[in-house]
Amino acid sequence: MLVAVSIASVLLVNKARDDSGWVTHTVEAESQLNALLLEIRRAESAARGFLLTRGSEFLGDHEAAVAKILPYADKVAHLTGDNPAQADNARKLRDAIATRLEQFKRELNLARQNDFAAATALVSEAAAGGTSATIRDLGAAMRSEEERLLATRSLAADRSQVLASSVTIAGSGMVIALAGMSIFLLRRSSRARDEAEARLRDTNLNLEAIVAERTADLREANDEIQRFAYIVSHDLRSPLVNIMGFTSELDELRADIFRRIARLGRVAALAPSMPEDATDNAEPELEGPDKRLSEDFSEALGFIKSSIARMDRLITAILNLTREGRREFSPERINMRELIENIGTTVAHQAAEAEARIRIATLPDIVSDRLALEQIFSNLIDNALKYLKPGVPGEIEIRGRTRLGFAVIDVIDNGRGIEARDHQRIFDLFRRAGIQDKPGQGIGLAHVRALVRRLGGTMSVASEPDRGSTFTVTLPINWNASVRNTGND
Amino acid sequence: MTNPVSIIMVEDDEGHARLIERNIRRSGVNNEILPFTDGTSAVDYLFGKDGTGSARKGQALLVLLDLNLPDMTGIDILRRIKENAFLKSTPVVVLTTTDDSHEIKRCYELGCNVYITKPVNYESFANAIRQLGLFFSVIKVPEAVS
Repeated sequence: MLVAVSIASVLLVNKARDDSGWVTHTVEAESQLNALLLEIRRAESAARGFLLTRGSEFLGDHEAAVAKILPYADKVAHLTGDNPAQADNARKLRDAIATRLEQFKRELNLARQNDFAAATALVSEAAAGGTSATIRDLGAAMRSEEERLLATRSLAADRSQVLASSVTIAGSGMVIALAGMSIFLLRRSSRARDEAEARLRDTNLNLEAIVAERTADLREANDEIQRFAYIVSHDLRSPLVNIMGFTSELDELRADIFRRIARLGRVAALAPSMPEDATDNAEPELEGPDKRLSEDFSEALGFIKSSIARMDRLITAILNLTREGRREFSPERINMRELIENIGTTVAHQAAEAEARIRIATLPDIVSDRLALEQIFSNLIDNALKYLKPGVPGEIEIRGRTRLGFAVIDVIDNGRGIEARDHQRIFDLFRRAGIQDKPGQGIGLAHVRALVRRLGGTMSVASEPDRGSTFTVTLPINWNASVRNTGND
Repeated sequence: MTNPVSIIMVEDDEGHARLIERNIRRSGVNNEILPFTDGTSAVDYLFGKDGTGSARKGQALLVLLDLNLPDMTGIDILRRIKENAFLKSTPVVVLTTTDDSHEIKRCYELGCNVYITKPVNYESFANAIRQLGLFFSVIKVPEAVS
C-alpha cells in the first residue's frame, strides 16, 4: 500500500517536474521569439534612421542588430522544433527574415551608392510587399501559439503538482494512520504481555503451594494405604489363629477317633483270644477301609495346615513391609564401597557355591539410611546370585556414577535374565517371573522398590533373557528433608 | 493358686477364647474364668456400676486382655485398670496378635505385667497358653484393695 503510494508520488513528482520543464521551455521559446522580433525591429529602425540622417552610427547599430537576427532565428527554430505547427511557422518566419535581410542589404547598398531615393523606394516596397508585416504576423501567430501552449502547460503542470501533493498528503496521512494503529496495537500487546507476566508470577508463587499440597495429599494417601495394609493383615491373622487352632484340635480328635475305631475293630475281631488291656499301650493298627479313611482325613488336614502356614507367611510379609514403610530413617554419610563390600562378605558362601565373582567398581558416597541401603543392595545381590545361569560362572558387577545430584548405581549380572513382559511384574508383591526353581515369596523386589522410593529415588531394570540383567538404583546424593521420614503416627 | 483367683478374659474372638480356655485348663488351672467378648461389658464388670472399681474390693483378679476389641482398644482398659485405686495391683496379661514393637513398649509403659503374642502356629500357641497356665498356678495375686 505504502509502496504503491510512494511509487505514485515519485511518478507524479517526476511528471510535475517534466511539466514545469515544458512550461519553462515555452516561456524561453516565447522570450527568444520576442528577442528575435525586437532585433528585426531594431535593424529596421536603424536602417530607416540611416536612410533619414545618413549618420554612420545608425549603420553600425543596424549591422549589430542584423548579426543577432540569424542566431535568434536558429534558436527559435530549435526551441519550437517539438511542435510541428510552430516548426512550420518558424520555417516561414525564417524565409521572411531571409527576404527582409536581403532587402536590408539592397537598401544599404543603394544608400552607400548615395542612391537614397531608390533605397527609400525599396523600404516602402518592403512595407508595401508585406515582408515586415509577414514577419510581424508570423511572430504574433507564433507568440499566441506559445502563449496557448504556456497556458495549457501551466495548467497541466499545476494539475500534476496538485495531484502529486495530494498523493503525498494522502500518503502522509496513511503513514500517520498506520503509525497510530501500530502504536495502538503495540500498546495493547504490551498490556497483554504485562498481564500474562503478572499471571505467570502469581502461578509461580502458587506452584510451590500447590506442590506442597499435592505432596501432602500423596503422603496422606500413602499413609492411608500403609494403615490399611497393616490393619487388614493384622485382622486377617485373628481368624487364622482360630482356623489353625481348631484344625489342630480336629487333628487331635482324629487321632482319638481312629484310635478308638481301631481298638473297637480289634476288640470285635480278636475279643476271644486277647485280653482287653493288652491293646491299651500299643498303637492299634487300622485296616482296610478304615485305614484309607484315616489317610484321607490326614491328607485333608495336611492341606489345610500347609495353606494356613502359607497364608501366615504372606500376611507376615505384608506386615513386615508395612512396618518397614513406617520405620524412621536416620540419614548419615555412607561409604558405598564399604557397604557393598560388607554385603559381598555376607554372601561369600553363596557366591562360592554358585562359582560367582562379585566385582565392585568405583561408587559415589551418599547420605542416606544405612539399613535401607543394606536391604536394597543385599536383596539385589542375593537375586543376582540366586538367578544365575546354571553351568556358567557368575559375573556380578556393582558400579556407580553421579548425575545431577543423584547417584546412579547399577547391579549387573550375567544370569538368566528376565523377559521384557515381566520387567514390571517382578516389582509387584508376591509376583515372580521365569522358571520357578528357587524358593522365594516374591517380596524382595517389591520391598526394594518401596524402600528406594521412600529414600527419594527410583529404580529400573534392563534385561534380556539369557544375557543377564542390570538393576539400576538412582538415589539422591544428599539427604532431602522432604523425603518421607515419618512412618509413625 | 491358693486363694480363689478369678481370671477375667477379655477376648472378642470366641474361637480364641475357647482355645485359650482349653489350653489353660490343660495346664491344670481350675480357677473360675469369666469371659467377656467386648470392652464395654468387661469395663462394666471391672469397675462396677459406679465406675470406681470398689465393687471388686477384696477380690483377687487376673486380667487376660486382647488389644483389638470391637468397641475400644485394650490399651484403654489397661490404662484404666492401672490408674484405678482398687485395681492397679491386679496383674494384667496382654494376649494379642499384634507383635508391633511400639505397641509392646506402650503396654509395658502403661503397667502391663506380661505381653504375649498369639502365634498362628497352633503348637506354639497351645504351648504358650499352657505355660501361661503354669505361670498362673505359681504366681501370687493380691486382693483388690485401696
